[in-house]
Amino acid sequence: MADKAANRPARRESRLPMPVLLGLAWLVPGLGHLLLGRRLRAAVFAAVVLAGFVVGVVLDGELMTPHAGDPLSYLATFASLGNGLLYFIARSMGLGQGVVTAPAYEFGNTFLLTAGMMNLLLVLDTHDIAVGKKDW
Amino acid sequence: MLDHLSLLVLDALLIAVFFSFLWKPERSERWRYFWKVFGALVLGAVAVGWLMYPFPHS
Repeated sequence: MADKAANRPARRESRLPMPVLLGLAWLVPGLGHLLLGRRLRAAVFAAVVLAGFVVGVVLDGELMTPHAGDPLSYLATFASLGNGLLYFIARSMGLGQGVVTAPAYEFGNTFLLTAGMMNLLLVLDTHDIAVGKKDW
Repeated sequence: MLDHLSLLVLDALLIAVFFSFLWKPERSERWRYFWKVFGALVLGAVAVGWLMYPFPHS
């Protein structure tokens, strides 16, 4: 494994300050990996998160907002916000309001929350690559 | 609209692709890991659904 890592070509590392890099990684799925020279993974991650988000919106899922007295709504909002710019763009267009009576409402929520949490994991992965904890 | 099983399979597919690329560096490892995660999610969900079948729902 160490040999394989040593044989890999050196990648371009980002010169951006860490908070900026992580902020960009959060705002645009896959951008953190792209800025660190991981182009294939950037493309795959962007496609997966975008697909999950679009399917969630199409299925009448809800981009959550906090509701007083409902602690779980705060967690769901955190996960929804994980989608970065997609969250704000969709909300500004009036999408992701959630249609509770729609047959696939819960599935829509699942896709939206999954996409958001995957993007949050990408931010952590970007950090690990940037600090050298992950060398591939 | 897709039925629930198709949506479940689609969700499992996206998650399996995501984690394969997140955690495995080599192509062959990724494929193995992809099938493992994808199978676990789909078969696990079907198994849990089957186990829940006898429970009453209102």
